[in-house]
Amino acid sequence: MKILLMGHPNVGKSVLFNRLTGANVIESNYPGTTIDYTKGYMRVGGEEVEVIDVPGTFSLDPKDKAEEVAVKMLHESRDATVICVIDASKIERGLYLVLEIVEEGYSVAIALNMWDVAEDKNIKIDVVNLERILGVPVVSTTAISGEGIKELVSRSRGTAPVEVDDIFERVED
Amino acid sequence: MTKLDVDERWDLIDKISKKTVTFGEYKHTLKDAIGELTVKPLTGIPIAIAVLYGFWSFFSSFAGFFTDGFFVKLFDEHWLLWLQEIFPGKESWLYYIFVGDPSATNCFEAFGVLTSGFFVAIGVVLPAIVAFYLILTLLEDSGYLPRLAVLIDTILHRIGLHGYAIVPTILSLGCNVPAVAATRVLETRKERFIMMTILAIFIPCGAQLGIMKEVIPDTMGFVIFYLFMGYLIFGFILNKIIPGKTPEMLIDVPPYQMPTAQNVGRKLWMRTSSFFKVALPFVLLGCVIVNVLYLTGFIAWMGDILSPLFIGWFGVPSETAGPLIAAFLRKDLAVAQLSAIEMTRYQMISAVVLVSIYFPCVATFAMMLREGWKELLGSIAVLAMVVTLYGGLLHLIWILLGVA
Amino acid sequence: MEKKISEMNYNEEAIVKSIDEDLKLKVAGMGIRVGKNLKMITKHPMKGPVVVSVDGANTSLGLGVADKIIVEIE
Repeated sequence: MKILLMGHPNVGKSVLFNRLTGANVIESNYPGTTIDYTKGYMRVGGEEVEVIDVPGTFSLDPKDKAEEVAVKMLHESRDATVICVIDASKIERGLYLVLEIVEEGYSVAIALNMWDVAEDKNIKIDVVNLERILGVPVVSTTAISGEGIKELVSRSRGTAPVEVDDIFERVED
Repeated sequence: MTKLDVDERWDLIDKISKKTVTFGEYKHTLKDAIGELTVKPLTGIPIAIAVLYGFWSFFSSFAGFFTDGFFVKLFDEHWLLWLQEIFPGKESWLYYIFVGDPSATNCFEAFGVLTSGFFVAIGVVLPAIVAFYLILTLLEDSGYLPRLAVLIDTILHRIGLHGYAIVPTILSLGCNVPAVAATRVLETRKERFIMMTILAIFIPCGAQLGIMKEVIPDTMGFVIFYLFMGYLIFGFILNKIIPGKTPEMLIDVPPYQMPTAQNVGRKLWMRTSSFFKVALPFVLLGCVIVNVLYLTGFIAWMGDILSPLFIGWFGVPSETAGPLIAAFLRKDLAVAQLSAIEMTRYQMISAVVLVSIYFPCVATFAMMLREGWKELLGSIAVLAMVVTLYGGLLHLIWILLGVA
Repeated sequence: MEKKISEMNYNEEAIVKSIDEDLKLKVAGMGIRVGKNLKMITKHPMKGPVVVSVDGANTSLGLGVADKIIVEIE
């Protein structure tokens, strides 16, 4: 199993990455670029899992070199599970990226990070309903304090690809 | 597998959002206010200047503290004396290459591989580079860098670049090598060429800055100002004559965040260690080659040939030929060498400016070659022109001021 | 009244009316889309970039980009 951490820049992806992985972290440049990414390992139920902190991107239509690398890395790991780290206080544009990745057939889990910021801004998200509609695990996290990380790890194991058409159906229920 | 187009995707998000998200009353927080103040021109520009000045003070006091307070003593009072004592054959060429001048009392003037080479690399450059990368990482992780990019975009647009070109520019103040590599994040060939050329010519690297601080502390401000003006003037000219487009700015301005120690530490380590892997061999090799060139009389010979140009056009002593050749290998070494040459304050400024704008060091050169030989040749042509014009202009200023 | 983002005033709020087709994909990831409320945070003088806020997220647009998005002011 291989996990890609994807999300917008500055949503606490690296902090989450540090929390997930141990000391054995490898930082390297994507071949032919100066864009660097980090790779590490974590144990999930006795299994050693590779975790990659992909450079931040806003969508899968890259508008600069860093985003190009992010998209390439995603496409190079067709069998990976993608943990989408999104800023809970800017959930709509986060869901845009989530849907793009879901549409491409990846197994996705969502970390609604910066949960505390969303609370401060009086934004309330019905996580249970969101999870039901999307059909993928959704976990609220605060990477800085470590809240929700354990649940995120255990939930991301059983995730499977979902069809967008099913999401359309479920959202009408 | 169904794929949606942009509008369908947004429609779906609207539906999802309506069922799962409620947006309550939003209070404008202090953090938002600061976030906005630092990106508005009227307040943002003075703040940016204050921030950069603050970081500059930190840079110089941090580097000064370790270099003057610790490494100078260590190298001059222990390392140099010890080497001079145990290294055999004071008259031999091996001694000259590795330890340098046997009568030297400090590591700046000795100029051996093991004396000046190590001193420059570890005593001067290391603290400067660590301080610099620490600052850069903090700027990045706090979310200030995008704001700086927005503030500077107006100016950079005039020189054919867009706001994010501030990143290679700032990186270049650390080391030109990663900066040239970072120009790859720029989108068009025109942008990359302009950026690569003007940063290789005009931006002094951290090693140079560290050395300048040691050698010409009181006139350093002027040197930097003169280089900065060159960056703008020649950037403006290049923008006018090079065909191609500058893409428009489209960037996220994130809220401020507290950098975490772990992330900052990791990036700092990564950047510093990769800098040393590239730079250290060049510093030491540079020392060897320069010493060999001195021993064989090559540098004296070059100095003779170039002296009309040096004395007549640039107004600097012909001995500066040596450092200028050394500058190709390591600019920091070259500035260190200049300090040992007898000249006036103004000649010293000219010489330091020349060393800075003249050929980038060989590591940068190699990096530029990787971007394409056409680009490299273009850069060299621009460089030759700039050195002649801009170096001569400084001499003219001195003549007009009556100090040359 | 309709105008371009580049013509909006400080602190002015508007609804995004239309976005140039070739720009739509590029700005979508930043959350800028038709129907959204958009607020002008700052405009830089001398043809500098603008900063706008959509859904609490700030984005900086070069003037050329800001020219291609039409908004409706109520």
